[in-house]
Amino acid sequence: MSIGGSDLDRAITQLRACKPIPENQVRELCYKARELLIEEGNVVGVDAPVTICGDIHGQFHDLMELFRVGGDVPDTNYLFMGDFVDRGFYSLESFLLLLCLKVRYPDRITLIRGNHESRQITTVYGFYDECLRKYGSVNVWRYCCEVFDFLALGALVTGAATSLTPTDGPIAESIQSMDIPDADCDIEIETLNAQGEIMYRYARNSDSQSSAASQANSNAASSSPIAPTPSNTGPAGTGATSSANGSSKSETGAVLCVHGGLSPLIDTIDKIRLLDRKQEVPHEGAMCDLLWSDPDEIDGWGLSPRGAGFLFGADIVKCFNHKNDLSLIARAHQLVMEGFKEMFESTIVTVWSAPNYCYRCGNVAAILELGEDGSNAGFVRRGNGERGGGGRGWVLGSNDGPNANGMSNENRRLSSVLGDSMGRPRDGPGRRYRVFEAAPQDSRGMPAKKPVADYFL
Amino acid sequence: MALVAPPSNDRKRVKVYELKNNDWFDRGTGFCRGVIAQEGAKILVASEDDPNRQLLETRISKDDGYQKQQDTLIVWTEQNGTDMALSFQEPEGCASIWDFVNEMQSRLQRLAHDDGLSDDIDSAASPIMLPNPDLGNLHEIENHMRAANSTPGGREALAKFVLAHEYIPKLIPLVEMAEDLESASDLHRLCSIMKMLILLNDTAIIEYVVTDDVVLGVVGALEYDPDFPLHKANHRQYLSDESKFKEVVKIEDTATKKKIHFTYRLQYLKDVVLARILDDPTFSVLNSLIFFHQVDIVQHLQANGPFLRELFGIFTGPEETSERRKDAVLFIQQCTQIAKSLQAQSRAQMYQNFISNGLLDVIQYAIKLADVSIRLAGMDVLQALIDHDALMVRSYVFKAIQDGSKPLTDTLIELFLIEVDLGVKAQMADAIKVLLDPNANSASMEALGRTNSDFLAKVRGQHPPMPQTDSFVQKFYDDSARKLFQPLKDLEGRESFNDMSVQEATLYAYLVDVLCFFIKQHSFRSKYFILSEGLAARVAQLMQCPIKYLKLTALKYFRAVIGLHDETHNRQLIMHQVFEPIMKVLFDTMPRDNLLNSVCLEMFEFIKRENIKILVQYLVETHREKFQGITYVDTFQNLILRYDQMHEPVTTQELDQSFTSVDSDTPGRPLSMVNGGKWGQGLKELDADEEAYFNGSDDEDDLAPAAKINGASPVKPLVNYPDDDVDDDEMDILASAPSDSTHSTSSSAQTQGSPNTPKSSDETPPERISEKRRREDDEEDELLASISSSGPKRRASLSSNSSVGSLKSLRRKTPTIASTKENAGPKKMSLSLPLKSGGEGGNTE
Repeated sequence: MSIGGSDLDRAITQLRACKPIPENQVRELCYKARELLIEEGNVVGVDAPVTICGDIHGQFHDLMELFRVGGDVPDTNYLFMGDFVDRGFYSLESFLLLLCLKVRYPDRITLIRGNHESRQITTVYGFYDECLRKYGSVNVWRYCCEVFDFLALGALVTGAATSLTPTDGPIAESIQSMDIPDADCDIEIETLNAQGEIMYRYARNSDSQSSAASQANSNAASSSPIAPTPSNTGPAGTGATSSANGSSKSETGAVLCVHGGLSPLIDTIDKIRLLDRKQEVPHEGAMCDLLWSDPDEIDGWGLSPRGAGFLFGADIVKCFNHKNDLSLIARAHQLVMEGFKEMFESTIVTVWSAPNYCYRCGNVAAILELGEDGSNAGFVRRGNGERGGGGRGWVLGSNDGPNANGMSNENRRLSSVLGDSMGRPRDGPGRRYRVFEAAPQDSRGMPAKKPVADYFL
Repeated sequence: MALVAPPSNDRKRVKVYELKNNDWFDRGTGFCRGVIAQEGAKILVASEDDPNRQLLETRISKDDGYQKQQDTLIVWTEQNGTDMALSFQEPEGCASIWDFVNEMQSRLQRLAHDDGLSDDIDSAASPIMLPNPDLGNLHEIENHMRAANSTPGGREALAKFVLAHEYIPKLIPLVEMAEDLESASDLHRLCSIMKMLILLNDTAIIEYVVTDDVVLGVVGALEYDPDFPLHKANHRQYLSDESKFKEVVKIEDTATKKKIHFTYRLQYLKDVVLARILDDPTFSVLNSLIFFHQVDIVQHLQANGPFLRELFGIFTGPEETSERRKDAVLFIQQCTQIAKSLQAQSRAQMYQNFISNGLLDVIQYAIKLADVSIRLAGMDVLQALIDHDALMVRSYVFKAIQDGSKPLTDTLIELFLIEVDLGVKAQMADAIKVLLDPNANSASMEALGRTNSDFLAKVRGQHPPMPQTDSFVQKFYDDSARKLFQPLKDLEGRESFNDMSVQEATLYAYLVDVLCFFIKQHSFRSKYFILSEGLAARVAQLMQCPIKYLKLTALKYFRAVIGLHDETHNRQLIMHQVFEPIMKVLFDTMPRDNLLNSVCLEMFEFIKRENIKILVQYLVETHREKFQGITYVDTFQNLILRYDQMHEPVTTQELDQSFTSVDSDTPGRPLSMVNGGKWGQGLKELDADEEAYFNGSDDEDDLAPAAKINGASPVKPLVNYPDDDVDDDEMDILASAPSDSTHSTSSSAQTQGSPNTPKSSDETPPERISEKRRREDDEEDELLASISSSGPKRRASLSSNSSVGSLKSLRRKTPTIASTKENAGPKKMSLSLPLKSGGEGGNTE
């Protein structure tokens, strides 16, 4: 009955072959996952390096492609920003595989909740139907929904490096290598294709640098997912880097990852902590907004055409980032044809990981890699579900609690990290995007739903 | 071939337009008529100025896309590529020409067919004319179709052509030929052609392709998707497997039987064959076709008396096999699933017929079977039935109770307690909830399962319960509830929870969840039940369990209880020392950021925000030290502040207490900052004040106290609260509230030997006015914020709003209150008796 070590590995193998596991194993898996997820905070602490992924939407074969491009679990540390299910035909296999990996390698994969991880939405957009088809009853759907209620609402990535260690990959054929800044520059953004070839590379704050692919000079700029800059003298998307005249290794702020976006009810990340997240996604309120909102070219807050959540403008993002000492918000939730899109001077990025969405949108997908800051020492992240006494985490202001040792002096409230630098915007972390297309058609059967088995009517 | 007479030649006034350089150029106004001439049908427009001048003369071609727009516009493309339009003065004129065009077109098509003209002799005139297909011209056909496919007119014409020429049966044999030749390219072309034909989104074509004669050929062609060149599907094999159709009771009506097969094939097309490529319009056409078929099928069956008798007879006939019975359950399940989309009236009719044939017995039969899948199906049927009409199901249960037979609810409860399949168990818990929900009818059980039940509970709370439901619920608490919650009760005395199995844990989780639902829905009955059975303490025990999920469920139960703002419940929580395990969970999880911890924080945050005084008082007094140690959030510091605010200002204490059900201060007031640390001092003041109060000086009676009191206040700044003049009304609340409850307040304060009871001192209340006023303001905000919670606190403030309106009256009133101690105030007002009133306070309820 128990789905431990080898059973789990067997389940993973089976799911990797896109074959559902038996209902009793699903139940066991969900049970385990629940006990694990209950230990996670509403905002999970994650250490760089980490690879951040957006919507998957049941496109199992493309998820496999994602793992091929980004590296396998547990070799790569992953963070998935929700919307695992619905739309695609393999929601069940995709979600269960991710959940298996979570249970098997809890520290190497983080799952947070998307707006589709909800009873109401899944009944409409396919996951409910799929479970019913594949198991003949909705039990599995119930188990999965129960797990949805336990998923964290966001994640906070700390310890990301401000600049990338350049990849030694070849340069994509279409690119003139002269345009690529030297590897010894302070590289802020790099975009690779699925073969690991360099498509663009941007150095931080160097006027002499020119963006790769003659991006800034040509009309390609309009279609670039990097926020266009007014001229080609500055690095694209790094309007806020004037402070980077110091050490290139200056510590970057944290990166907040949520599925949707910000909420007018949440001005500090600590507020998220006070939510009781174990519930169906509500129709309004902070929890709803985090999963439903979208950034938009507006001032302040606006009504969302989705009917839930809000639209929020650059001012909101900048203010929030400043207040919480963030250098970047990573989110998913919106289809972007190029796979990723930075907005508002690179203070927020949308990452989309479902290529050829719905099997016909023709978009490419992307994942975002954040490197590890070598000088990570000194920053101790908030304890996240660590077992056994939890020596790390927030400072307890008193002399009781298990934290009353030297460690706690290094801990700090998230909201007040590095108070001395609050006056200026943070350098964004170095960002490496890997862009990939839908898995080759031949690698799989025709995607289809499972037919009704028997029929009486 | 006889030509019919041309349509009425009444002259229709019309403007002729030609599209030139993207602008509609007016070629003039004239009169329009359709004529049939030697070389074919024509539309002629003669100028109204000069009848001899023809503004337009165009031949109607077989397949050109003519379009009628609005009521008065016909648009088409000439064979030379010019876009033309006729704008009619009258809709009738337009309609008659339109009819003429259609008639002529269809006649031309028939003509072409009869003559075997389909061979491409006239392709210039009718670009959609397709050659008779063979393996050699598939490429050509595909190109033709692709071209036609690009315009709406072309699509329409193509669809007409394909049907009229029975083109699909001509394509089908080619699949096998190509297969024999192993010609992948031809197979791929055939697949593309077939896809294109289906995606023309023509209802007639879609209905045609699933008919017995062609369906296998069609899906056969679709097995070779050019997008997956190395892959071949096996649709034919799947669809030709007749064993998939199960006929529990023979369906005599052949039309209905055919529809059943068609429907199945349509679903297969939608889910499997076309799943990846379906565009939205075709998807919805498929869906509506399926829907209408299903409606027809169910309508036919439910009205078929002999059929129903045979179907339900399966469950009573002694010679029937259990296999057949299971199939019958599954059959009924499918009916009820389909019925969900029927119109309410037909659905009601179906259930009526089913029930009169014995549906309820079938459900009882099914949910007792050993086969899980059948239990699930049985619960599914019940769920659908409850969704349809919970009142009706309840009335059957009620009838059973009155007849002295075992009601469905009892069966459900018994089965629920022993059910091992967690899915069935969940469904049973849901069913019990809905059957016992006094307001459930509008909101369905399905919705309960799929949406936030808290939200629903709120929505439903607005409807008054039915009288029948009331006695139903009463009956439940008299008998069945004990059975249901027995496992919880049996927890008493259980020492260790380390050996709890998953099954057990799940049972408790559901029970607590159901209990949670009941306390929200059946206010006083559930309250009494929980008190008399001592369930609060049992739920609290669950927090010792190492299974975190169960801890969480228990925590959420207490959070729901606190959310009720019910004094009895709150006092129970204190009496049973429920906060001990909650504090333990808090401290166990505290340095870490996790779900349990967040839920604890949210609970304390709620107590603080709503200022539930009895709890604030209890918590701070018992856990002050611990609270002071928790600094990583300010919730606990603020709780202490709340408490201190309640106590510092000497006389405020009094009013606070008599007034307790209402919220007070916001956190972090300067006042509390000042005095926050001086705990002992605050106590003394408080005691003094109370004593002074009960010594009952009548002086206060006629005092115009504001100035004096304020003068004595140690915290002057607050007096000048900006809103001072605006909120007289709010002061009324203060004024009247004491009168309601002084009795209990004062008496218990005097008699109880709590550590904080009065000692002595005669000081005038230092800053009560400002304090109160301040409090009132905050409270108003919070009232608005929590408008949905209809706790006693609202009643308190509402009831008092009608009374007097000034500071003076407030002051004057107090003594009166003191002298009318004997009048027992409304129960709700005794809410936050001082300190540890515990069980005793409950007597006033």
